[in-house]
Amino acid sequence: MDISFIDHFYRVCNQYPDKQAIVDVDRSISYSDLKTEIENCTLGLHKRGVKKGDRVSIYMDNSIEFVIILYSIMSVGGVAVMLNSAANFSDVENWVKHSGSSWLFVKKLQEEFFAIRDNLTSDLQLVSLEVSGIGLDTLVFSDLLKEANGDVYKENIAPDDAAVIIYTSGTTGDPKGVTLTHKNLLSNYKAIVRYLELTSNDSIVCVLPFYYSYGSSVLNTHLMVGGTVILENNFMYPSLSMQKIEKYGVTGFSGVPSTFILLLKKVNFNDYDLSTLRYVTQAGGALPVTYIDQLQQALVNSKIIIMYGQTEASARLTYLPPEKLTKKIGSVGIAIDGVSIQIRNENGMSVDPGETGEVYASGENIMSGYWENNEATEKTIVNGWLKTGDLGYVDKDGYLYLEGRKSEMIKVGGNRIAPGEIEEVLSEIDNISEVAVVGISDELLGQIIKAVVVLSDGAELNAMQIKAYCKSKLATYKIPKYIEFVDSLPKTASGKIKRFKLV
Amino acid sequence: MSAEMELRSYVLENYLFTDDQSQLNNEDSFMDKGIVDSTGILEIITFIEDEYDISVEDSEMIPENLDSINNLVKYLEKKKA
Repeated sequence: MDISFIDHFYRVCNQYPDKQAIVDVDRSISYSDLKTEIENCTLGLHKRGVKKGDRVSIYMDNSIEFVIILYSIMSVGGVAVMLNSAANFSDVENWVKHSGSSWLFVKKLQEEFFAIRDNLTSDLQLVSLEVSGIGLDTLVFSDLLKEANGDVYKENIAPDDAAVIIYTSGTTGDPKGVTLTHKNLLSNYKAIVRYLELTSNDSIVCVLPFYYSYGSSVLNTHLMVGGTVILENNFMYPSLSMQKIEKYGVTGFSGVPSTFILLLKKVNFNDYDLSTLRYVTQAGGALPVTYIDQLQQALVNSKIIIMYGQTEASARLTYLPPEKLTKKIGSVGIAIDGVSIQIRNENGMSVDPGETGEVYASGENIMSGYWENNEATEKTIVNGWLKTGDLGYVDKDGYLYLEGRKSEMIKVGGNRIAPGEIEEVLSEIDNISEVAVVGISDELLGQIIKAVVVLSDGAELNAMQIKAYCKSKLATYKIPKYIEFVDSLPKTASGKIKRFKLV
Repeated sequence: MSAEMELRSYVLENYLFTDDQSQLNNEDSFMDKGIVDSTGILEIITFIEDEYDISVEDSEMIPENLDSINNLVKYLEKKKA
């Protein structure tokens, strides 16, 4: 019988009531207590009118409360809209508006959230974790839990009901809210649990934000087997993560390329007892082979598992079995359980092994679509197959190798950024007559943003002034790292900018 | 120029994109105020290693040493002592 992810989780809570589910900086919570708090929060949401299908936004860093809120939204039948906590208020407003969220959970209320509420035509219930800053008609999270009276409310959830929405870009004109159903999540998480061989004995230091599909998958896969998730919100100080692995006898660690490059450059692995670390996973872009080699040498007793996926695929599409790491160098592996991968040419026809084309994927994990954006959905999902926008080939043994991106999207660390959004902001500056934004290779982040700028005749403007303007309009991760001044932009005969010449 | 002023200028120019000294207090936490991210911290480490000819050890990469101008200044004094 099909059960929802949340029902599966409740079963785990009953199976491992006294086990630690989540460990945060100042407190930890057992499965039994977590379940109680989720039930209380669910009841609070229900009593205050949240019903099946309602969208509820969450804009905060990882915490125990984040998990309680997320699971309560799912439990009451709502759709959790997980917003990038590094995004600026303008993006938050666009996403809250586009998703039609009726609730917004934040860590601390600031005047900008009241402005967002005032700008909406529909009602928005603001809820804050912290008491300070509370204003008219707002709620404190702890009050929501006080509604508990021993009753339990649980909505009936169908596998195809939407569970979460994750926005992958912030452009006002073309918002892409990846909508994942309960079936999408459960099928993907089950496959991940299988290939990572996760059990209740596993624990992980989670440095990935939950609003990334990778971070959610780390959280949810561990909580669906009775494992323990140890939160480490800031990877600025990588030695703190290593200390936690040692302290808690952690069995797993997951990161993106920059996580591992930072570790390899700044951490002496021999200073820590990492003997319990059974495996590490890497996804979110290509980690150069030289670093994979270094990682293997540094963690001789741990399995290194390279993976590939997309938010549109719930999280995961392929993984490289660790025993193939040295045999299939540079590959992101084979399709995980329940996923099919095809390489197709420009005409949408499947190509032979070794031939490069676009990576297509199908399976129960593929999103139902982009929220309220049929045009983008129809371009991305063709006859049930997800067009990933990634280019690659499959070898004769079925192993996938990626060779780049088809789209112009820039990927900085875990964030996807549309060049057009930054160009739009830069074009607002009076003395800039033309601008093009491109992603250039970066060892640590995969790509960083470069803006190539043409100034108006006689105008004077320096890079710091341009970046300062960007800072007032864009999230920090979208501010160009480099500003290059040129006399003119290279263009085709038809006037289209030759972006490849700017990289 | 003192280390404090050099560090202030570096952070102001590279992360706050201004030369307005009032935009940064010496006790401001880089982390809590969202002034720098993890790659920014790495850049700051590279900057102080190059500028002051020191080596930041793995065990020294902690907020108490690096998370504000005051902490950086104290850390540099300790390293040079």
